[in-house]
Amino acid sequence: MSVPVLEVKNLTKTFKNVVALDNITFEVRQNEVVGLIGENGAGKSTLLKILSGIYQPDSGEIRRNGEKAVFRGPKDSATAGIGMVHQEQSLVTSVTVAENILLGSEMDAVRGGFYNWRTLNAKAQKQLDKIQSPISPTDKVEDLSFAQRQMVELAKALGVEEFSKESPVIVLDEPTSVLEGDELEVLFAQIERLRQFASVIFVSHRLDEVLRVSDRVYILKDGKSVAERNPDTADVDELHRLMVGRESSAEFYHESEQTPVVDEPVVLKVEGLGKTRAFSGVSFEVRKGEVLGISGVQGSGREELTRVLFGAEPFDSGTITLDGRKVRFASPVGAVRAGYGYIPAERRIEGIAQGLSVQDNIFLADPSPVSVGPFFVPSRARAAASEWITRLRIRTPNRNTNVSNLSGGNQQKVVLAKWLNSPRLRVLILDHPTRGLDVGAKEDVYTFIRQLCGQGIAIILLADTLEETIALSHSIFVMRDGEIQRRFDASPGNKPKPVELVEQMV
Amino acid sequence: MSQITAPEPTAARADVEVDWKSHIVAALPLIVLVLLIVVVTANQPNFIALGSVRGLLESMAPILLLALGQTFVILTGGIDLSFAATASFGTVLLALWMPGLGVAGVIAVVAALTLIGFINGFVIAMTQIPSFIATLGALGLYSGLGLAISGASNIRISTGYEAIGWITDLRIAGLPLSALLVILIAVIIAVAMKVLSRGKSFHAIGLAEQALLMSGGSTIRIRILAFTLCGLFSGLAAVMLAASQHSGGPTLADTLQLPAIAAVVIGGTAITGGVGGAMKTVVGALIIVVLRVGLSAVGVDPSFEQIVYGTVIIAAVVLTIDRSRLGVVK
Repeated sequence: MSVPVLEVKNLTKTFKNVVALDNITFEVRQNEVVGLIGENGAGKSTLLKILSGIYQPDSGEIRRNGEKAVFRGPKDSATAGIGMVHQEQSLVTSVTVAENILLGSEMDAVRGGFYNWRTLNAKAQKQLDKIQSPISPTDKVEDLSFAQRQMVELAKALGVEEFSKESPVIVLDEPTSVLEGDELEVLFAQIERLRQFASVIFVSHRLDEVLRVSDRVYILKDGKSVAERNPDTADVDELHRLMVGRESSAEFYHESEQTPVVDEPVVLKVEGLGKTRAFSGVSFEVRKGEVLGISGVQGSGREELTRVLFGAEPFDSGTITLDGRKVRFASPVGAVRAGYGYIPAERRIEGIAQGLSVQDNIFLADPSPVSVGPFFVPSRARAAASEWITRLRIRTPNRNTNVSNLSGGNQQKVVLAKWLNSPRLRVLILDHPTRGLDVGAKEDVYTFIRQLCGQGIAIILLADTLEETIALSHSIFVMRDGEIQRRFDASPGNKPKPVELVEQMV
Repeated sequence: MSQITAPEPTAARADVEVDWKSHIVAALPLIVLVLLIVVVTANQPNFIALGSVRGLLESMAPILLLALGQTFVILTGGIDLSFAATASFGTVLLALWMPGLGVAGVIAVVAALTLIGFINGFVIAMTQIPSFIATLGALGLYSGLGLAISGASNIRISTGYEAIGWITDLRIAGLPLSALLVILIAVIIAVAMKVLSRGKSFHAIGLAEQALLMSGGSTIRIRILAFTLCGLFSGLAAVMLAASQHSGGPTLADTLQLPAIAAVVIGGTAITGGVGGAMKTVVGALIIVVLRVGLSAVGVDPSFEQIVYGTVIIAAVVLTIDRSRLGVVK
C-alpha cells in the first residue's frame, strides 16, 4: 500500500483545562474521500484549524506524503496543498469571483499594485474549470446564491494546486448544512470529480450523506477518534450510536410524548396581521401546550412574522391577542414582560451574551426568581444556576465560565435555561432551535420541547427541516410570498407528509 | 418550570477552571500602582507624608468623578467626549448662578448637566449614531456656550462661595473629605453593580447588545442612563472644581479630559465595553495622579503631562483590548 497523502498521528491539543483533541490519529489516502463525524465539541473544528495552521498542536505530528509537516499558519498549509472550504463562508462579497479565488495568491496577476484583470480572470477560470463550474470570474459574489458561493470557495481551495507539487487535499467543513435538493446533488457530483485528482476530507452532521460519499468514515467523540467504519457495512444508526455514545432513540423526535391540545384554551390569537412588504392577512391561534410549526422558504415572510410577534419589529395592520388581551409591543421589552420568550436563529449574537458567564446568561431575561425586590440573592442564584446546569446537562467547567467557551449545543441549552427560568413564560418562539447542533443536542432540545408543552407553554416553531416541523408540531401552516398558503393538522397520529408541505412552499 | 429535565441527568462537572493568566491581567493595574508608589517614594521619601497624600487626593477627586461618569459610558461600549467640556460649562453656570441662588444654584447646575447627559444619551440611543460623533458635536456646543456666556474669561466666585467652599475645606483625619466622598461613591457604584439584579446591564450592553435586547432588556433606556450618569458626574466634578478654584471658567475642566479617560482605561475597563467597573477606575485615577506627581518629582515639565496621558491611553488599550472582538469596536 502506498504512503497516505495525509497522516495525523497522536495529535493532542488542550485549551486551558479543556482537552479538545486527545491523541487523534487518522489518515487520508490518495484519491480517497474520508468522512469525519462527531458531535459539537467532539474536536472537529479544532482538528481542522490545526490542519489549516491556525492552531498549533501540543503534541503529535502531521505527515504529508510520509514527510513530517509543520503548519505555522494558513499559508504553510496551503503550500502543502491543503485547501479549506469553511463552514461559514469566507468570501468578500462586494468584489468579483476572480478576486476572491486569487485573494492572497495573486502573484503575477498584480503588476505594480494594480490588477492585471486578464491574467486574474484567466487564473480564476482555470480553477473554476477544474470543477466545470459555469460561474464567470467576473461575476460579483454578492449576486451569487449560497450554493454558487460554495463552488467559488471550492475553486479557491483548489488554488492550492498552483503552489504545491503534491496532489491536493480538500477539506469540506459542513458543506451540506444549508444546501437543499438539487444543490446537494451538484455538490456530490463535485466531490466525485474531486476524487479523480485529489483527496477529500468531508466533515458533516448529516450521517446519511457521509455514508453516501465517503470511502471510509472516522468517528470523533470527546476529542478522540473512537472508530473507523466502512460505509458499505455501516449504517446511520451505528454511526449515531458511536457518535453520541448511547443507543439511538427509536423515536428521535419523541413523537409518542406528544399530547393532543384541542380542548386547551387559546393563549395567543393573531388576526389579519400584516406588515408592508413582508406579510399580510396572517391569522392563527396557538393553544396552551401546542406547538405551531410555520414552514416556508426564505422570503416567505415567516422570519419577519416571528420578529413582529416578539416586538422586535412593528406591524401595520391586524391584532395580536395574548390571554384575551390585545397587545402591541414597541420592543421585545414589553413582549418579555408579557410572557414571551424567543430563541433566535442567530444564537451567537442574539441568543447568548458572549463574555458574560453561564450564570449571568441564565438570569439575563428575568432575574426575579433569584432576587428580592431589585436585589440579587447570590446564594439563590448559585443554587438555581447549578440546578439548571445539572438538569439540562449543560457541559461547562462551572457556572462562572464565559458562555462563549461552550460548544453550540451547550450554548443553546443556556439560552433555553434563560427562558425556562422565567415564571412569566407563556409563549416561546423557537427560531431554528436546532440549527448547527449535533444529533445528541438536537434530541435534548426535542425532549425539552415536549416537556414544555406538558407544562402548558404555547410554542411557535420555525424548524430546520420539514421532518422536524412535522414531528414536533400539533398544527402547521405554510407561508408563501407573505401569505398563509395552507394549514395542516399535525396532531399525533395525523401527520402530513413532507412532500405535501413542499408543494405549498414553492 | 420545575419539571424540565434533560433525558439522562448526570452530575454537573465540578472541576473548577483556574485561569491564572486573566487573573494576572486583571490585577495588572493594581501592580502598576504599587510599583509606581514604590518607585516615587524611593526617589522622594516624603511622598508618603500626610501633606503630599492630601495634595494627591485633592487633585484626584475631580478626575475620579469625571472618570466614574465615563466608566458607565465606556462599559456600554460608547464614549462621551463632551464630559470635560460640559463640566467646564458647568463651572461657568455656577459662577453666574451661585451669587443669586446659593445652594439652589448648585443644585440647578448639577441638574442642568445631568439633563445634558440625558440629551446626549437620548440622541445617541434613538438615532443610533456613534457616540463619539454625537459627543464630539456636544463638545463643540457646550464649550462654545461656555465661552459665549462667560465672555471667554474666568469668573471669580465670591458671593455665595460658602455653599460649596466646605467641599474643599473639610478634612477627616487630615485627609480631604471631598476625595473620600468620591471614593465612597465609587464603592457604592461597585456594590450596586454587584447586588442589583439588573446591575450587570451596562456590561451586558457592551458585550452583547443584541442578546440583551432579545432577552427583553431595555437597551435604549440603559444607554440613556449611562450618558445621564456621565452628565451627573460632570455636574459633581464642576461643583468640586469651582470650589477648589474659587471660580468658574469656560476651559476649567478641559485639561482633565485626557487624564479622566486614561484613568478609566488604565484601570482596566475595556474600551470596547463590557468589562470593568468603578473600583478599577479608582485604581486608574490613583495611577494617573501618582504618575503626575512622579513626573514632576523626576523633573518632567508639566507641559509634557498631556503627552504622557495620551501615550498612556493608547498603551493601555493596546495591552487590554480583546482582539477577538475587534469587529464590534464602535
